[in-house]
Amino acid sequence: MKIEDLASAIEARLVVPRGSGNTNIAFVYGGQTMSDLIANAAPDVLLVTSLNNAQLIRVADLMDVPGICLVDGCEPAPELVSHARTAGTALLVSPTGLERTSLKAAECLSREKAHA
Amino acid sequence: MITLSFRIAGGDFDSAGLATRKLKDQLAKLGVDGPALRRAMIAAYEAEMNVVIHARCGTLWARVDETKLDLEVADEGPGIPDVELAMREGWSTASDQARQMGFGAGLGLPNIRRSSDRFQIETRVGRGTLIKSTILFGEAGETQAEPVVVPLGMEGSRCRSCRRCVFACPVGALRVRDSQPLLLDDLCIGCTACIEECPDAVFGIRDSAAALPPIPEGALLLIPRGFLAAFPVRSPLRVLAVFRDLGFAEVRLLDEWDESLLAEARREARSGKLPVPRIPPLCPPAVSLIESRFPSLIPHLSLLRSSAETAGEEFPLRSVFLVAACPGQYAACKRSSLTDRLTVIAPGTLKTAILAHLGALSVERESELIAGPRGTPAPGEAAASGVRGVMRALSTAETGALGEVSVLDLRLCAGGCSASPLICPYPVIAGPAWNVECRGEPAGIAARARPFRQRPGVRLDVDMAQAMLKLSQIDKEIRSLPGRDCGSCGAPSCAAFAEDLVLGRAAQSDCPYRENTP
Repeated sequence: MKIEDLASAIEARLVVPRGSGNTNIAFVYGGQTMSDLIANAAPDVLLVTSLNNAQLIRVADLMDVPGICLVDGCEPAPELVSHARTAGTALLVSPTGLERTSLKAAECLSREKAHA
Repeated sequence: MITLSFRIAGGDFDSAGLATRKLKDQLAKLGVDGPALRRAMIAAYEAEMNVVIHARCGTLWARVDETKLDLEVADEGPGIPDVELAMREGWSTASDQARQMGFGAGLGLPNIRRSSDRFQIETRVGRGTLIKSTILFGEAGETQAEPVVVPLGMEGSRCRSCRRCVFACPVGALRVRDSQPLLLDDLCIGCTACIEECPDAVFGIRDSAAALPPIPEGALLLIPRGFLAAFPVRSPLRVLAVFRDLGFAEVRLLDEWDESLLAEARREARSGKLPVPRIPPLCPPAVSLIESRFPSLIPHLSLLRSSAETAGEEFPLRSVFLVAACPGQYAACKRSSLTDRLTVIAPGTLKTAILAHLGALSVERESELIAGPRGTPAPGEAAASGVRGVMRALSTAETGALGEVSVLDLRLCAGGCSASPLICPYPVIAGPAWNVECRGEPAGIAARARPFRQRPGVRLDVDMAQAMLKLSQIDKEIRSLPGRDCGSCGAPSCAAFAEDLVLGRAAQSDCPYRENTP
């Protein structure tokens, strides 16, 4: 599923669009620690987290993650937005919490897989 | 080999991860990608963050060659007082600042360990820490190095040309030529059939004469249970006391891991998704025998590492010495070893040291031994040991005549590893005599990343056309031989002799009956 379509499906705001590279999302992973996120990061995974700092982009960049979704409608830190633009990592903000956002995204992805 | 190095500044969260990012660029230029690159990034990033969070400064070194990446991250930090504790998930001493940023979850070191094929920590409190991680550029968890040749040692001068070994070898890997044994390395499966059969002690594990290496503090010794019965003493406690004198802090029996493998094979059989009987890889030579002579049974093998391989890798933070029961087990543990802390030793090496100590020991002290006895096969399961027994069991399994048998327990030494001729000279007592109370933690199992494969055996020629030509020559030679399979030529059969003739391993005159053949 295209990251823009997924953002729309989970009613998330697309703060920074994906630069070059893969824009397809096949899985979603929600986590609150960097170790968890990096261990589950992959080129077709959307990371969902409430962590709001530039290290998120470093992790995404190292692991070729196409996008990150912050939760609870929080405003992304300016350096996070700037790093996301530089790295070409999509940055989303969901109005709901970590669990609900992750579940909703996972449901969208599984619905799409079922239709494929 | 290319060596790269990157400095890391402690406490600088803005630049944190940059060293790993630079490493990624370099690795990409070298063509490293896919899962290997992913694992390298996790290991390097976590190690770099350890420096940023805990140390004043550090350096990341990366050494890359065609087969692997060796990472070393050294820091000038406080060191780790309790490495075992630090390896536990959820344990951390990170600052509040680091925790607020999502670090300090106590998952960093476990993440590095999981992502590495080899992993090691060296630390000194007040001085710093060195983390070593190796990523192999192949299937995770299996070394891609050259296979270790089965270390069957031979004292040719002792050979009297009785040729018993030639007939005992289940894969026809031995010949006797010019009154000397000749081993075909490509065929040898590392069992003890020749060792057991030879009346002149020609065969053994190649390094059995080597001296026992220095034993570091806290070392763990892994042995087959029968090893305790290999000495002229009345109680295994006496032998255990000698282990302590030699410097081993703890002794565990490999039988524990056998039980874990059997339990996993039972679970697989119950799942109904895999062909039965399930064959747990308890005995590396038995696995090699299946790969060589019974390839149709390869799908029945549980995709696990052998008991000894698993045991040898289960304590990456300790110095581990493992007594191999046979050349095959020795080779398997050496081949799959992912840690520098595992030392595989031949039984003879340790026996010499123990016998020297037994003479001086006068007091039997209390010792702890961890393991329980191996029972008889459970209902619905079957067990076979010894070359003949295993060959018959596999032949039967191949025809499908084992019916409802769910698990097949195979050991090429008659009586199992404990009764290997290298382990215990008294096989009758090797099994039941030294049953002891089980006090250990449940032993683990470890998945194999690389599937079992049919062993190709000896290639007749690297060129396919030449190989086919040689095959037809072998066929012709077979027809010209008497077919007695007498072994006078030093080969186990006329067919093996014909192959030897075509490949230049034998002369026509080696067959005494050839002139009389029509």
